[in-house]
Amino acid sequence: MDFELKYSPEQEAFRQEVRAFLEAHIPPDLEEPVDPADLSYEQYLMRRELGRKLGERGWLFPTFPKEYGGGGLPMELAVIIEEELDRYGLSLPPFYNTGGTLGAPCILVWGTEEQKRYFLPPILRGEVRVWQLLTEPGAGSDLAGVKTLAVRDGDHYVINGQKTFVGSLHGADWLWTIVCTDPNGRRHENLSWFMIPADLPGISMTPLDLLMAGGEGGASPGAKYTVYFDNVRVPAFNLIGGENNGWKVATTHLELEHGGAGSIRRNRIVDRLIEYCKTTYRNGRPLSQDPDVRDLLVECYIDAEIGRLFNLRNYWLRHTRRPRTYEGPQASLHRKVSGLRIAEAIVKALGPYALTNDPTWDPSGGHLEVFHRASIVATHPGGTIEIQKVIMARRIGIGRAVREEAGTVV
Amino acid sequence: MDLALTEPQEMLKATARAFLERECPRQLLLELDRTETGMSPELWGKLARMGWLGLAIPAEYGGEGAGLLDTAVVYEQLGRGPLGGPHFSSAVLGALVVLECGTEDQRREVLPRVASGEQILALAYTEPDYGWGPESVKLTARRDGPDYILEGVKLFVHDGAAATHLLWVARTGQGPDPASGLTVFLVDRAEPGVAVRTLPGFMAGLCEVRFEAVRVPRRAVLGEAGTAWLGLSRAFLRAIPVLCAYKVGATEAVFELAVNYSQTRVQFGQPIGRFQRVQDHIIDIVNHLDAARWTTYEAIWKLETERPAAASVHLAKAVASEGFYRACNSCHEVHAGIGVVRNYGLVLYTRASRSLYNYLGDPRFHKRRLADALGL
Repeated sequence: MDFELKYSPEQEAFRQEVRAFLEAHIPPDLEEPVDPADLSYEQYLMRRELGRKLGERGWLFPTFPKEYGGGGLPMELAVIIEEELDRYGLSLPPFYNTGGTLGAPCILVWGTEEQKRYFLPPILRGEVRVWQLLTEPGAGSDLAGVKTLAVRDGDHYVINGQKTFVGSLHGADWLWTIVCTDPNGRRHENLSWFMIPADLPGISMTPLDLLMAGGEGGASPGAKYTVYFDNVRVPAFNLIGGENNGWKVATTHLELEHGGAGSIRRNRIVDRLIEYCKTTYRNGRPLSQDPDVRDLLVECYIDAEIGRLFNLRNYWLRHTRRPRTYEGPQASLHRKVSGLRIAEAIVKALGPYALTNDPTWDPSGGHLEVFHRASIVATHPGGTIEIQKVIMARRIGIGRAVREEAGTVV
Repeated sequence: MDLALTEPQEMLKATARAFLERECPRQLLLELDRTETGMSPELWGKLARMGWLGLAIPAEYGGEGAGLLDTAVVYEQLGRGPLGGPHFSSAVLGALVVLECGTEDQRREVLPRVASGEQILALAYTEPDYGWGPESVKLTARRDGPDYILEGVKLFVHDGAAATHLLWVARTGQGPDPASGLTVFLVDRAEPGVAVRTLPGFMAGLCEVRFEAVRVPRRAVLGEAGTAWLGLSRAFLRAIPVLCAYKVGATEAVFELAVNYSQTRVQFGQPIGRFQRVQDHIIDIVNHLDAARWTTYEAIWKLETERPAAASVHLAKAVASEGFYRACNSCHEVHAGIGVVRNYGLVLYTRASRSLYNYLGDPRFHKRRLADALGL
C-alpha cells in the first residue's frame, strides 16, 4: 500500500514545465474572492483565458483523448496539473464548468463519433463554458420526474419548460440539459439529454436570491438562476445518447457528481480553523488551549481526515478502473454531513465570531462566515443527504431486488 | 499511490480467511467464548503452526518477521471471526514490549517461545486509576537486596488468565516526569503471590491481577530499570494499528451480518432492507467501516515507511474504536430480538467492541493525544 502520489524524474520534469507555464500565464492580479459571489467579470475572464491556454495544450481535460482536444495524459501527470493549480487556490477547470466536467464524460461514453468530434473539442479546449441543467421546480430529488419537454419537429426538437438552481456568475455558452422526450413513456425510459447553445431564441433567465449558491464540485458558481425555455428550437443532432435513453446517460453524469470522481485535494477549512484558534486570544490565552475548544477541533480534524481518505480512495478507484459501488455517494454524504458538524463546532468554539465577516472583528478574513453558509447550502447540490443514502443502499444491494451498478465513467 | 494489497498480501488474506472459515466455525467460537481464556490449546497450536504467533517477531528471534501491514492483514481476518483469546496480547503487544524494552538475551530467550505459543504474555499495565499514559502507572517496585518486591493490583489486564507470564509495569524511580522511572518486569504467573481473576460482566478476558509480595530477581527487569517508557510507547504505537485492523475486520463482519439479515428478514410483506430507516443503520455501519479501514491502513503505511505516524495512529484508534462500537449498536437495531440471542453470534462482536474499546487507550485519550500532535 502506498498513500502518497509518487513522481518519477520525468514527472517532476513535467511539474517544472507546468509550474513555469502557470507562472507565465496566471496574471498576478488573479485572486480568489473569499465569497464566490464576489467574483468580478474581470476575474472571471482571467480564468477563462487561463482555461483556453491550458486547453491549447490539452491540460484543461488532461486525461481525455487527444483526438477530441484532451491531453491524452495518464492520471499521474493530470494530478500534477491539479496540484500545481491548487497552489494558486484554483481547480481544474479554473472556472465553474459543471456542464463541461460532467457533460464531456457523458458525451465520451454515450455520444456518436460525430457528436464527439463536434462537441468535445470546444469544451476540452476551454473555448466554451457549460452549465448543467437538471433541477426543476417540480423535480429535485426525483430527477427522473423532469417535465421540461422536447418535442421532435423535423430535424429539430422544440423545448419548453424551466430549469432552476442553474449555473454561475457571468453566463454560459452551452447548456447540458436533461429533458422529457415522451410524457406518456415509462419512467426512466422517457428522458433525453441535449447540449443546447445558450444564445438560442426563447431562452431567458432570472437570478435566484440565495443564502449562497451551492457548488457541485470544482470551482464555486457564485450565483444561481432559473432558466426558461420558450419554444426553443434545438437541432436533433444535439440530442446525446439517444432519444429516451437519458436515464442511462444520467447514471454517468450522476456517478461523477455524486463523488465517484474522487479528489486529491484537502479541504482547508479545518486547517484554517486550527490556525485561527492558535492565534486568537480569549481571556488571555489562545482559544486552542481551551479544553473544550481542543476537543471540538480534534473532532473537526477527524472528520476532515476521513473525508480526505474517502476522496483519495475514490480517486484511486476511478483512475485504476477498479469496481466501485457505494463509494461515490459515501464521500458525498460524508462531505455534506461533516460540513454541518464542522460549522456547528465552529459556532461552539468561537461563539458569534463564527458568524461575522466584519473586517474589524473577524480575523479569518470572512472565511469562517462563508463556510458556515456554504455548509448549509452544500447539503443539496448533486443530491440531498437523503438521496446519497438512497443511492448507497441500492449500491450495497439492500432495498431492491436487484443491486444497482455504479454509473459508467471514464 | 496504490491502495491495493500486493499479490502475496492478497494470498495471505485469502489463507487467513480460509483458516477462519475452516477452523473457527461459529459454533466453536461460541464454545470458546464460554471458556475463561477464549482459546483452546488445540486452536492455539494451530495458530502457532500458521506462524501467526510470530508475525510481529523478527526472524532472528524465531518469528515470521512479517511487516506491520502483513500482520494487519491477518488480524483483519481474525477480527472477522471474531477470534478471541490472547493472540494479540501475547504475540503482538507482549512481543513488541519485549522486543522494544528487553535486552538482546531476553529477546532471544522469550520471543521464540512466544512465537511457538509455549509462552503467553499479558501486559499488566493499568491500575484502578485506569489510564494508558505513563502517569497512570502508580505502583512501585521495592528493592530488596538483589531482588525486587512487587505488590499491588493491576486492573483490566487483557488476557491475564490465559497468560503464562505477566509483563508487570511499576515505578522503580520517582521524578517530576511521569515518563521516567518506569520498569517492566517479566514475571512467571506461577510465582507465589500472583493471583489472577477474570472479571465478570460484559467483557471478554479482562482480569484483575493481584501481586502479594512477589519476589523477583533483578534479571526479571526487561532492559534497564527506570527507562521503560520509551520502549513501551514505541510498542504501543506499533501494536495499536494491528488492534485497529482487528476492529476493521470485525466491523466488516458486522456489516455483512446486517446486510444479509436485511435482505432475508421479511416483515410487512417485504425484506426489511426496503425500509429506509433500516437502510440508515446499514449505511452508518459501512461509513464507520471505511473510516476505520482507511485511517488504520494509512497509519500502518506511515509506520512502515518511517514517516511521522503518531497523529495517524491516534486518529485510527479513536475512529476504529468508536466505529466498531457504534457499528454493533446499529447492527442490533437492524436485528432486534435475534441479535441478542447468544447463539446468533452478533453478541460476540458487540462484546468485543466494548472489551477492546479502552484497550491501549480509549477514543477520548487518543483524541487528546491527537490534539497534542497537532500542536493544539
